[in-house]
Amino acid sequence: MIAKIICYALNGLDGVPVEVETDVNRGMPAYEMVGLPDTVVKESKERVRSAIKNSGLLFPMNKITINFAPADLKKEGASFDLAIAISLLKASEQLVGANVSDTVFLGELALNGDLRAVNGLLPILISAKGHGFRKFIVPAANAREASFLGGAEIYPAVSLSEVIKHLVGVKTILPLETTEFVAGAKGIGSADLKFVKGQPMARRALEIAVAGGHNLLMVGPPGTGKTMIARCLPTVMPDLSFEEALEITKIHSVAGILGEEGIVTVRPFRTPHHTATTVSMCGGGNRVVHPGEISLAHGGVLFLDELPEYKRSTLEALRQPLEDGKITVSRAGGTYTYPSRFMLCASMNPCPCGNYGSANLTCSCSPSEIRRYRKKISGPLLDRIDLQVEVDNISYDELISSEKEEGSASVKERVDAARSVQRERFEDCGIVMNAEMGEREIGMFCGLSDEGNDILREAFEKMNLSARARARIVKVARTIADLGGSANILPEHVYEAVSYRIFDKMD
Amino acid sequence: MNYSEEEKAIVFLDTQTELEHREKAAVLRSAGDPARILRGEGDFLSALKGDRRSLFPSDRKRKVAETEKLLSELDKKGYFALTMLSDDYPESLKATGEEPFVLYGAGNRELLKKRKFCIVGSRVTPQWTQSVTKKIAEEVSERFVIVTGLAEGGDSAAIAGAIQSGNLISVLPCGLDECYPAAHHAMKDRIRERGLLLTEYPLKEKARTYSFHARNRILAGLSEGVLVVSAGARSGTSITAGKALDYGRDVFALPYNVGAAQGEGCNELLKKGAALVTDAEDILSFYGFQKKKKVAAALSEPEEKVLSVLREAGELHAALIAERAGLKVYEAAAALASLEIKNLAVKSGGNRYSAI
Repeated sequence: MIAKIICYALNGLDGVPVEVETDVNRGMPAYEMVGLPDTVVKESKERVRSAIKNSGLLFPMNKITINFAPADLKKEGASFDLAIAISLLKASEQLVGANVSDTVFLGELALNGDLRAVNGLLPILISAKGHGFRKFIVPAANAREASFLGGAEIYPAVSLSEVIKHLVGVKTILPLETTEFVAGAKGIGSADLKFVKGQPMARRALEIAVAGGHNLLMVGPPGTGKTMIARCLPTVMPDLSFEEALEITKIHSVAGILGEEGIVTVRPFRTPHHTATTVSMCGGGNRVVHPGEISLAHGGVLFLDELPEYKRSTLEALRQPLEDGKITVSRAGGTYTYPSRFMLCASMNPCPCGNYGSANLTCSCSPSEIRRYRKKISGPLLDRIDLQVEVDNISYDELISSEKEEGSASVKERVDAARSVQRERFEDCGIVMNAEMGEREIGMFCGLSDEGNDILREAFEKMNLSARARARIVKVARTIADLGGSANILPEHVYEAVSYRIFDKMD
Repeated sequence: MNYSEEEKAIVFLDTQTELEHREKAAVLRSAGDPARILRGEGDFLSALKGDRRSLFPSDRKRKVAETEKLLSELDKKGYFALTMLSDDYPESLKATGEEPFVLYGAGNRELLKKRKFCIVGSRVTPQWTQSVTKKIAEEVSERFVIVTGLAEGGDSAAIAGAIQSGNLISVLPCGLDECYPAAHHAMKDRIRERGLLLTEYPLKEKARTYSFHARNRILAGLSEGVLVVSAGARSGTSITAGKALDYGRDVFALPYNVGAAQGEGCNELLKKGAALVTDAEDILSFYGFQKKKKVAAALSEPEEKVLSVLREAGELHAALIAERAGLKVYEAAAALASLEIKNLAVKSGGNRYSAI
């Protein structure tokens, strides 16, 4: 008898339906697998054999052939175990009366018959639902993640025997109740702007950066709180929408880093170490292409501490994703596209010794050393970082007013307001933030008064600004105007925007 | 370009690197008419000690050919050689008694005839000093040709100020084909276009430790006065100032905070009696030029507030400026950027600003 069971394989962030066909014939006992299974899938033989035996069922001692269709797609991972087991039982007529044709089975088996969690469950469920499937049997360990998918019957099972009992109607499993998505449900831990002492310039730059979706570079000596400020970025970013959360969760699920919560509710904050390779940053791998740090930071912040320490090639590889918001990785196993719309936040010392520009410490670097250090960051990359701000080590005892520092919540309110202004403005343009504006949008929405143009021209002459800095300044000025609730870009907005181009002046 | 026989002889003598400067001078004195050296007339070699005479090439044809080749190479590259016999060889340099036989130049030769003023500073020059230097150089260059080097810091600031007017001479510590520091290649080309490059070293000669010292004597020798904008306790800039004193030139210096490492040399000069300079006026009036009326830039209200805070406090952190001016930090940041563009304030790193 032939049995057909539906399972799903992952192709990047999309699920692809795979039919597991099993034929049990009389003949010499044998166990064949065809249809491009990889090693992990082939090894399922032993897991399935033990799981069936230890669930009190019979492993057929006949000639067994298992086929995975479509035959030309590589089958990877352990999520086929459950489907293989069910298909074997069905083919050996141990599941009489059970209707398994419209159900998708997902899960890895343990030798004792328990079901183990699989990676990438949510993306599979989303794709399968799109393909018209409504019934799923998933490992109970993945239940939380699965419960965010509404409009489907999802049965979380602990073990193979529980699945069998459910299928033959002895003891049905209760379908999962859909969990309501709440953004920021878990909280972001200890990071909050109210704990950042002083640094008014950096705070302001952070607010502008988040409001307009600009990238941010902080320059300052070691120990001045650059990292702490960066960690506050997600706390002032707008709440995740359910669609965004699903998209981020898909990536994290595929990468296997999804937490217990089952869905990403806060914007990711990724801090790859500066020894990170280009592949770990952009995604890749031998056969399976894993999403890289930039995709894991999708919808959130990629924080690069000590920017000049990163390998030049790794930094240069960020340029295209920064522009396009996605990355396409090609490997022998296939070509995969992962989204990578992240906010880049970087920090660096002003010079190798860290004391350049310090009020009370002497910098021991020669001009050429400083030049070499800064040259490590290429112009084109710098060009994509709209805001550059100095973080300094002033002692804040000097400040007379002991006002309590503003917390993330109230900054976030202003950011949300500025974002909604932008959403309205760009309704017909297919973008949502000022930073995404192209030449056309700049022409439409960033008209400068004569005075504003004069200021820019003067700034170019006096400060030796690079030509490419102009569009950056105008975009930032637009965001500053939005934050100030001003419909037009006023001279003070341009002036302030100019003050965030410290790197253009550094030579 | 046409060179006289005498000039060619001087160029030839100058390119004999085996001989010391003092020996060359002796040969020249003994020959009387320099052209005789090239022709091989007279017993001018008797000025050299016995074993040194062999260092002097005897083959007349080769002598002439070598010199002609060098001069035609200069022509081809658009350079010129200025010998101590040339009409426009600066008299002030001759008066030092340590003048080079030949100066190689590229750019506007006319500048040599104008009045010259030297501005030098060490490579480690604070930001505000660089801004002040630039401003001073800009204003002084209306009356004088600014003479300086090509290094980072003080030199670069002086160049930045004077390049617009074209009244700028940069004296190199290396040959005209070389560039030190290499990163200033574009700057060097720009000076050649608008101003004048000078050096006593042949085309391909690289910069060496001693050539900076030797170059500094030319800086001082060319100029009527020397302004030292920054100098550590033991810097090459102090050597320029020392040479200027030896040659009887006027020495000016910017004042520094007590204990500021980059200004110890300046304060030392002031103690010894150098003229204290805070703006270009101090230099121009020293030489009897009328004060020019300044047009005050129109300032907005926050800019006025910020500027008055800055004038009162000297260097100050942006957060403190905002607090004292009663402004929000971002309002102060905008005002400061505007003051910076209007050349009234300067950022000195670490979010600190000062008025100039």
